[in-house]
Amino acid sequence: MRSPAKHLAALATGAVVLAAACTSAPASDNVLRIAMGSPGEAQIRVWDDVAKQFEAANPGMKVELNYQDDDLYQTIGLQNLLNGRNAPDIYFEWTGNRLAQRVKDGFAADISSKFDSGPLAGLFDDTTLDEYKIEDKIVMVPYSADVTNVLWYNKQILADAGVQPPTSWEELLAVCDTLNAAGVTPIASGNKDLWAAGNWLSHMASRVVGEDAYVSTLGGTGKFATPEWEKAFGYITELADHKCVNESANSIDDNEGAQLFFQGKAAMHPIGSWLVSWAIDEAPDLDFDYVNLPAMPDGAGNQDSVIGVQTGFVINAKSAKVDKAAEFMAMLNSDENVQKLIEAEVTPLTKSASAGQDIDSRSANLTALLNDAPAIVLPPDTGYDLEMADALYAAEAAVLGGQQTPAEALGGIDKKIGR
Amino acid sequence: MTGDARRFRTRRLPGILATGGLALLAIVFFFPMVWMVLSSFKSNSEIFRAPFALPTGIDFGRWAEAWEVGHLGSYALNSAIVTAASVFVILICGAAAAFAFSRYRFRGRGFFMSLFALGLILPLQSYFIAQSQLFTQLAITDTRLALIIPYAAMGMSLAVYLLKVYMDALPHELFEAARIDGAGDFRMFRTLAMPLLRPGLATVAIFSALAAWNEFLLALLYIQDDTLKTIPTGLLAFSSRYVTDYALLFSALSIVTIPMIVIYVVFNRHIVEGITAGSVK
Amino acid sequence: MKSTRPVTPYLFLAPALAVFGFAVLAPMLLTVGFSFTEWNGFGPMTFVGVDNYARATADAVFRDSFVHVVIYILATLVLEVALGLGLAGLLSVGRGGLWFRVAFFAPVMLPLVVVAVLWSFVYNADFGLINAGLGAIGLHDFQRVWLGDTSTALLAVSFVSGWVFAGFYMMIFYAAFRQIPNEVLEAARMDGAGEWALFRLVKVPMIRNAIAVAILLCVTGGFQGFDLFFVLTNGGPYGSTEIPTTYLVKTVFRNGDVGYGSAMAVVLTAIVLGVGFVYTRLHRPGTTA
Repeated sequence: MRSPAKHLAALATGAVVLAAACTSAPASDNVLRIAMGSPGEAQIRVWDDVAKQFEAANPGMKVELNYQDDDLYQTIGLQNLLNGRNAPDIYFEWTGNRLAQRVKDGFAADISSKFDSGPLAGLFDDTTLDEYKIEDKIVMVPYSADVTNVLWYNKQILADAGVQPPTSWEELLAVCDTLNAAGVTPIASGNKDLWAAGNWLSHMASRVVGEDAYVSTLGGTGKFATPEWEKAFGYITELADHKCVNESANSIDDNEGAQLFFQGKAAMHPIGSWLVSWAIDEAPDLDFDYVNLPAMPDGAGNQDSVIGVQTGFVINAKSAKVDKAAEFMAMLNSDENVQKLIEAEVTPLTKSASAGQDIDSRSANLTALLNDAPAIVLPPDTGYDLEMADALYAAEAAVLGGQQTPAEALGGIDKKIGR
Repeated sequence: MTGDARRFRTRRLPGILATGGLALLAIVFFFPMVWMVLSSFKSNSEIFRAPFALPTGIDFGRWAEAWEVGHLGSYALNSAIVTAASVFVILICGAAAAFAFSRYRFRGRGFFMSLFALGLILPLQSYFIAQSQLFTQLAITDTRLALIIPYAAMGMSLAVYLLKVYMDALPHELFEAARIDGAGDFRMFRTLAMPLLRPGLATVAIFSALAAWNEFLLALLYIQDDTLKTIPTGLLAFSSRYVTDYALLFSALSIVTIPMIVIYVVFNRHIVEGITAGSVK
Repeated sequence: MKSTRPVTPYLFLAPALAVFGFAVLAPMLLTVGFSFTEWNGFGPMTFVGVDNYARATADAVFRDSFVHVVIYILATLVLEVALGLGLAGLLSVGRGGLWFRVAFFAPVMLPLVVVAVLWSFVYNADFGLINAGLGAIGLHDFQRVWLGDTSTALLAVSFVSGWVFAGFYMMIFYAAFRQIPNEVLEAARMDGAGEWALFRLVKVPMIRNAIAVAILLCVTGGFQGFDLFFVLTNGGPYGSTEIPTTYLVKTVFRNGDVGYGSAMAVVLTAIVLGVGFVYTRLHRPGTTA
C-alpha cells in the first residue's frame, strides 16, 4: 500500500483501538457525582446547599452536581453519562419503563436495606416506597410526585363569558364554542416540542381506551391502528373542528403557550402542576384554578384518573460509593432540607413533607389529587419508550392540527415504530 | 431634449436611482436588527402591545442584567479561547502544509493536495457522527478540546488552499537566494515565508475565526456543561430559559450582535480581499 | 525547490494532515463503517450489511427531507444568489459604498442562532413583527402562523436564509464586478448602453465564473443547512421542514440509532459530492478568463 493510504488506515485503526480500550470504569476517587436535568434556579440552590452540608460533614469528599439540558438528559444524555467515564453515583429518573431499564442494565442499586435500617429509614411511608420498587426491591429514593397535566382556567374570562369550568367533554366543546363566539381563544397550547399537548391528549386517550389498553399498547403490545384508539383520536378531531386550540400551537413552545395564558389571551391552558409558582411569579394578578381532565363520554377508563409522574434518584449499582450516596440522599431528605425543597416548589414525598406548610392551595390540591387518584396514568415520554412516545405525540399533533385523520395518524405510528 | 438633460439621464439618474433602491433595501435589511436593539430598551409589555413604538428611554440596565444573568461573559470567553486556539493551529499547520505543497515536489504531493481539496467540499454530516463517537470514547467531550480540534480540522482545507495561492505568488528567486546563503528549510519557512504571508495569514485568520465563532452544530453536540458553552449554544440556552422575557433576550442578542458589526466595519477590507481571493479560482 | 532532506516536505505536511486526518478523514471512514452496523453508541455493535440503506430508501421522512432541502436550495438560489447579484449590480452603479455593505453584510457575521431567535420573534403569530405590521395596516387577512403553517414554514425559513446570505453573495459579485476593466464598461457606455443593459449584457456575462462558484457554494451549502432549521422549526410543523441534517441529528442524538444515522449520512454525502463533481465537470471545460 502507498504510504499515505497506510497512514490513513493506521490512524483509523488506532482510533478504534483507543476507543475500545477506554472502558467505563467507576471512579474510585472521593467525588460524589450527581446527575439530573435542569430543575430550575430555586431547586438548584437547595441542591447546592445540601452539597455544601455534605462536604462539611464529610471532609475530603467533594460533591459534583451535573445539571444537563432537560431534553438531552431524557434522550441520550443520561445514557452517555452512565456509560462513560466518571459515571454519576446518583442520578434522576422517572418511575416506569425507564426505571425498569436501568435495573435491567445494571445501573440501579438495590437500596432496600438503606430504608430498613440504613440512613434512609423512617423518612418515607411504605405505601410511597411501593411505587419505587422493581421486583419487590427498592431501587430509587423518592423525590417528588407531580401532576403532568390538568386543565388550568382563567376565572375572570370564564365568568365574563358566563360559563363554568367544564367537567365533561360535551361541556368542554360547548365552552369552546361560547368562547370562540366571544372572540377569545379557548385553549392555549405551546406544542412546538409536541409533548405539551401530547401529554394532555394521551391522558384523554387513556380515558377512552382504558388504562389497561393504554399501558399495553404504549408498553409494546399490539398496534395503535385499532378501533378503540381511533375512537379516542376522533375526539382530537372534534377539538380541531370546534377550533378549541390556538392556531399557533404548533409553532410556539410550552413557555410561549403559558405566556398566552398569563396575558389573558386564552381562557384555558392544559399543562402540569409546575404552572402554579410560575404563574404567581409572572402574572400575580391572574386569578386561576384548575379542573382535572373532563370526563370522556363512554370511556373505558376511569374518568377520574390522573396523569402524573413520580420521580426520584437512583443510586448507581456500579458506583464505588453506594453508602455515601445513601447518606447524601438521607441528608437531602432531612426535615430542614425538605422544607427548603417545598419552598422551591418541589412536592417531596417524605413523611415530614405532608406535615403541611404555607403552600399555595392549588398546589396542595394537586398533591391531594395525585395521592387520592383512583388510577394514575404515566406520560408517554417518561413512562415508556421514547421513540414510541415521539411517534405518538407527533400523531396527536397532526390530528389536532387537522393535518391527518385519526386512522392515518395511528397507522403512521405503527409504521414508524415497526408494528 | 438638451444635451444636459440627456447627460443627466444617462450619467446621474441611474446612480441616483440605484442609490435610492439600495437605501430602501438596506432599510428593510437592517430594520430587524435596529428594531431588536431598540426593543431591548423597552419593557416586555411595551414590546407586546406597541411593537413599533420607539422606546421611552435608553436604559442599559437590561443589557447589564442579560450579561450577568445570562453568563454572556463566560460564553464570550469560551468562544474567544476556542476561536483563538483553533485559528492558531490552523495558521501554523496550514502555512506549513502550504509551504510544503508550494515549494517542494515530493511523492504523494498530488494525492495529499486532493485530500485537502476533498475537505473543501466534504459536508459536515459525513463525519460528525463518527467524530462524536470518537470524542466520547476518548472522553474529550465537554472540554474545549472537543471544539478546537474539529474547528482546526475543518478550517485546514481552506487555509492550505488559500495560503498555497499566496505562497505560489512569492518569487522563486527569494528562496533560491536564501538557499544559496545556506538557509535550512525550517529557517526559510520561519523567517522568509511566514512574514511575507502576512496578508494571506490575516485573511485566513479572519475567515477561520468567523467560522469558529459562529459554529453551532458541534458546539451543541459536544458541550453540555454550561460553563464551557460558546456564544451560539450559550445564547440558545439563554433563549430557552428566558424565552418570554423578550427585553432581556433582545438585550443579550444586541450585546452579541453589535461587536460583530463593529468588527466587520474595522476589518472590512480584509474580508473583501479574502472573498476575492477565494472566488477567483 | 529541493529540500535538504527528503523527509522535510512530509514534516511540514504532517501537523495539518494529522489534525485533518484525525478529525475529518478518519471519522468519515468510520461513518461508512458504522453504516453497516446496528449500534446505539455504547452497547454491542451488530453487523447488518446493507439493511440500513434499504431502510433509508424506504423511509418516507428521509425521502421527504430531500424534497424539502431541494425546495430550500431553489429558494435560496433566488433569495441569495440572484438577489446578491442584483444588489451587487446596484452597488456598482450607486454610491454610498461602506454603509450599504454594512447593512447587507452584517447578518453574515452573526451566529445563525442569533438570527433564528430574532426571526422567531418576527414570525411569531401572536405578537411578532410581521403579523403586527400587517395588522397595523389593516391586512389581517394576510396574517399567518408563519412557522406553524405547512404552506409557509419552509419558505419562511428560506427567507431568513436569504436575509442572512444575500449580502455574502453580494460581496462576491461586487468584488468580481470591480475586476472588470473599466475600458470595457466605458466602451459599452459610449455605444449608448444604459446601466441596466450594461448590467445584463456586459457585467453579468463577464463574471460568469464567479456566478458559477456562487451557485456551487449555495447548493452544497444548502444541503448542509442546519442551524436555522433547528432553532426555528426543528422539522416542524408536522415534519414539513425536516431536512436531512435535522433528521440525522434526531436519529443519532435523540434515538441513539448510530448505524442508521450513519447510513443516511453516507447517502447525503454521496449526493453532495456527486452534485459537486458533476457541476465542476460541467464547468471546467468551458471556463473563460
